[in-house]
Amino acid sequence: MQIATDIGGTFTDLVVLDEQGNTRTFKGHTTPPNFEQGILDVLAQSGVNPEAISAFVHGTTTVINALTERKGAKTALITTKGFRDILEIARCNRPDLFNLVFAKPKPFVPRYLRLEVSERVTHDGSVLQSLDISDIEKAVEFLKKEQVESVAICFLNSYANDINETAAAKIVTELWPEVFVSTSAQVTREWREYERSSTAVLNAYVGPVSLKYLDNLDAKLTQTGVSSKRYIMQSNGGTTTFNAVKTAPINLVESGPVGGIFGAAVLGQVLGEKNLIAFDVGGTTAKCSLIDSGEVKITTSYRIEQTDRYAGYPIMVPVLDIVEIGNGGGSIAWVDQTQSLKVGPKSAGSLPGPVAYGKGGTHPTTTDACLITGRLSASNFDTPVDISAVESALVEHIGKPLDMDAKEAAVSILRVAEANLFNALRLISVRRGYDPRDFALTAFGGGGPMHAAPLARALGIKKVIIPVAAAVFSAWGMLMTDIRHDYIQTNIGTLDSSSISLWDEQWGKLKQQALAQFADISGELATFAHYLDMRYLGQEHTVKVPVPAPGWDEDTVQNIIDRFHQMHEQSYTFRLDGTPVEIVNLHLTVIGHREKPKLSPIAAQSEPVEASLKDRRMIYFDPEGWVETPVYNRQTLLSGTRLDGPAVIEEKASAALVCPGQSLHVDTYGNLIIETRR
Amino acid sequence: MKSIDTVTLDIVKDSLVAIGDEIFYAFAQTSMSPIIYETLDYACGIADADGHLLTQGNGACGFIGMISPMIAEIIEKFGKDTMRPGDVYIINDPFMGGGTHLSDIGMVMPVFYGEEVVAFVGNKAHWGDVGGMAAGSFTTDSTEVFQEGLRFSGIKLVDAGELVQGIADMITYNVRFPVAANGDMWGQIASLRTGYGRINELCDKYGKDVLLESMRRLMDQGEMVALSRLKEMPNGVYESEQYMDDDGNGNLVKIKVKITISDDCFEADFSGSSPQVASPINTGYSALCAGVKVVYMSIVGPNLTINDGIFRTMKITAEKQSVLMCDAPSPTSCYFESMLYALDTVWKALAPVFPEYLGAGHMLSVCAVILTGMHHNSGQPFLIVEPTGGGWGASRGKDGEVGQFCVGDGETYNVPVEMAESRYGIRIDEYSLNTDGKGAGEFRGGSGAVRSYRALTDGQLFSAAFGRNKFPAWGAGGGQDGSYNYFEFYRSDGRVEGPVGIAARIVLNKDDVVRMVTCTGGGYGDPKKRDAVAVAQDVKNGYISKEQAFADYGVEIN
Repeated sequence: MQIATDIGGTFTDLVVLDEQGNTRTFKGHTTPPNFEQGILDVLAQSGVNPEAISAFVHGTTTVINALTERKGAKTALITTKGFRDILEIARCNRPDLFNLVFAKPKPFVPRYLRLEVSERVTHDGSVLQSLDISDIEKAVEFLKKEQVESVAICFLNSYANDINETAAAKIVTELWPEVFVSTSAQVTREWREYERSSTAVLNAYVGPVSLKYLDNLDAKLTQTGVSSKRYIMQSNGGTTTFNAVKTAPINLVESGPVGGIFGAAVLGQVLGEKNLIAFDVGGTTAKCSLIDSGEVKITTSYRIEQTDRYAGYPIMVPVLDIVEIGNGGGSIAWVDQTQSLKVGPKSAGSLPGPVAYGKGGTHPTTTDACLITGRLSASNFDTPVDISAVESALVEHIGKPLDMDAKEAAVSILRVAEANLFNALRLISVRRGYDPRDFALTAFGGGGPMHAAPLARALGIKKVIIPVAAAVFSAWGMLMTDIRHDYIQTNIGTLDSSSISLWDEQWGKLKQQALAQFADISGELATFAHYLDMRYLGQEHTVKVPVPAPGWDEDTVQNIIDRFHQMHEQSYTFRLDGTPVEIVNLHLTVIGHREKPKLSPIAAQSEPVEASLKDRRMIYFDPEGWVETPVYNRQTLLSGTRLDGPAVIEEKASAALVCPGQSLHVDTYGNLIIETRR
Repeated sequence: MKSIDTVTLDIVKDSLVAIGDEIFYAFAQTSMSPIIYETLDYACGIADADGHLLTQGNGACGFIGMISPMIAEIIEKFGKDTMRPGDVYIINDPFMGGGTHLSDIGMVMPVFYGEEVVAFVGNKAHWGDVGGMAAGSFTTDSTEVFQEGLRFSGIKLVDAGELVQGIADMITYNVRFPVAANGDMWGQIASLRTGYGRINELCDKYGKDVLLESMRRLMDQGEMVALSRLKEMPNGVYESEQYMDDDGNGNLVKIKVKITISDDCFEADFSGSSPQVASPINTGYSALCAGVKVVYMSIVGPNLTINDGIFRTMKITAEKQSVLMCDAPSPTSCYFESMLYALDTVWKALAPVFPEYLGAGHMLSVCAVILTGMHHNSGQPFLIVEPTGGGWGASRGKDGEVGQFCVGDGETYNVPVEMAESRYGIRIDEYSLNTDGKGAGEFRGGSGAVRSYRALTDGQLFSAAFGRNKFPAWGAGGGQDGSYNYFEFYRSDGRVEGPVGIAARIVLNKDDVVRMVTCTGGGYGDPKKRDAVAVAQDVKNGYISKEQAFADYGVEIN
């Protein structure tokens, strides 16, 4: 059997998938700072025989936690003479336009630990000045004295040639074997020195912590008797081995959340849906990501801690393209100074949590609004709910300032929350040039199933998929992943028939690099996918165009250019035929296929639907208003069940809403499929 | 359920703001000009059917509130009844509504729902070149607007959806980089059309009346917040005056302001400022207003979404034909310098009144650089038009920020060294902090920056306007002044020229270096009160010297 573990802020989830395709899920507590203990706990709780595990897949928040809590290593930066302040100057931008006492992000390495050495590579990769070895020796001596624990090395133009960077790293390691060393080129081969420096620095910053975590986890798993291969989830939606991630642990920055998005793509394949929007609503945030023709989308313009008023810190590694907004089940509703109702981004989290949890929360949240509007039932919470406390919180914080009663306040909160979610779903679709009506919506996380159906109606989406184990779907998704590495190389040049052999050569180099690394990872069957980041000459922003494997001829080149024009028009509404087209990056994706169990069908429905009916209650729908709605128990709704909305399908920790005008059926595997009724 | 209706209005209102964002980002993504896609030197806005601004996406702070006067100008000139769906107007006249300099091309599109104009969308973007006497169009030695490029007084560029080819051709044949100009023109049109479509979708979904009511609510809320903030502010008259560097002919230029804050109005009167000059540092009235609005926003609520409701509560006056309200044919290509000085003078007058929102003086100038020449590899011409980052002032409780663009910029990005070296005929020898240690204070002024360009081909032309080259960034609350902006030339034969603050088309030959240095911001509070550990750390980090630690801060470092 295969197991996946996903460490979240509060819970550590475990999903077990056996050879017959049966899924079982378990939840344990997250145990900071020794996160591996939580994994062992939930493993023990599951009763799974460690020796029967054939693959262990893991998603971790270690890296993101070390970053946001500033608990990484004491880090230094060695860089090209004349450029040590790049990290502090950053990009000079000020997103908080009218705040004249704004504070820009403080660098992770203070100025005195940023050292310069003589060396220089030019933009075309030629070495203008070779590395001055004595500068490196002096730097090491100083940094040892300062008790630095980790060293990042980023030289100018190393994306074009990393010879000096590599030489510097070699010397540092020779002189100081116990220190963690990261060169920028080990992590990214894209241009933009600030972003690459920042990536190298953050990689070095989390390096020692991540290595320690991975080694501990590995050792403890071995002690427990788990002898299977271990895989870890990377931000690109694929896995890799523990060992392979050790040079660039920063690739784990979004290790947890991407599992669900990749899972949505895999589930879509099984169900024959290639165009999907994955929609994950947790306690604090909602995330959405678009899957086009079965492919998840990758970007390298990721930043941590970025908001619309704060620049954050760039990490230029492949991360699934996710739109995330501060709108989850625990998001707090409030009235602003203009008497407008707002929901989020502040969240009550899991402690104190929504008022309904009875753990001391006093501010009304989306979850509380769902309770009062009937979407959630008091009996489905873990602990008894004090409805009057929820109502008075609604009246106190929303009702009084806006002249509403508790029910009106709850309805209003839901409308605003769903308008926020609606805008996020538009960002990931419409703003990227896609029509949401061409997509199905796969909803998961605690809150996804509750909002998916009304949002689908508002967006004109005809089909909603609510997977089995929606609440722990991220962990399930991890079980479906393959080993994946992305190699992105900046290489500016025009694409025309005369340059084909040049590009062949560049692809060859990239492939060699990939194979060398992949050979270490596994002997698994590898497949390659090729992309070009392309733009019109003179433009800055690129479009990622899938291209055939090298061995191009004139026709291929023409097809690639045609495809670029077409994708540019889709993304940006216009095309400039006749303008020369430039390549900025080569992007090679290597996928090592892991053996995965098949999904198994669930039993067919034999009882009438009414047998699963647990309740009828008044539920608010927009625009119908209050409608008496049947409530069913998901567990006993078996394969083949069909029913019409309005309805609520309840399961532990979650509830799915079906709107009037929609119908629901349970598919062979137990997924809930909600469709617009014809 | 009347109260729930306001929730609908809020939802529509938020959708309008989201549309403003959408058309803003759509444009950056497609632009062909680095000045647009890296420095986001443009703005997009939505206005109601009478031209009042509802929401604006800004890259550069200095474009605040410039969209609506531009739209008002078009309404005034053409009348709504002559407009047809699909029309787009082009306007860049510095002396008309929304005018700045000719390089900023404005476009306006009426949004029809059915037969009726329900809104306007507009944008304004800095094109790399619009013709005129010098590559890059804006220059430091023009004496008349006619030398600064093509001037559009609000004319139709797209007629009921069809491009007016004559205008497009005129652009193509009168600018130095026609491919980029065409790309940017289409980018702007596409962004307006996106806004048009989205507003129509809102009407379809919620109904036209709900949309119009939401617009009113948006504006009223803006005014309400501004009024309630005004009531909290200390009423009074606050005055300040300072000299800008000079007019290019050795004469100092005076900027003077008198601000009156009452319970319902914020008034800024610039009477007594110098008359307009024969160098391109004059600004028109719209740009002056934008400068004042930036400071107003910072004290009213930096987190508010911008609309004309907020600005109903302010009044700005200046004398005609003064440097802050110039008339044709004054040159205005460096208009931002006087606009920023006006802004800075307001800032300085109000800093003692609002220490929680306004700190000491910053580098002030855009420190705009223009460099043209041939690329060393491709042999193709290149053009750099970019701002330079510098130091910001300290404020109560916080050191100043380092290496930031001036207040008139905003979500503006520097051009990465690696991109510059690939794209332009230069190598960059240094990009670091200017740690001159000035701006001492309990809270220290932020360091400026040093950026050195080495020419890799002969015959490159360098122009720059580094304001604040005579008078340093001012300290506040007992803090010391910062330093000056300047640049100097290191010739390949060892000669050094400069330092200077203003230059027009200086020739750089192969291996000549221009070293650009921006100032450190002003300090805040008595330096003797700075925590000694912080001073020691400053020395360790090299922001100040040991000598400065002792002389300015009274801390002896061993």
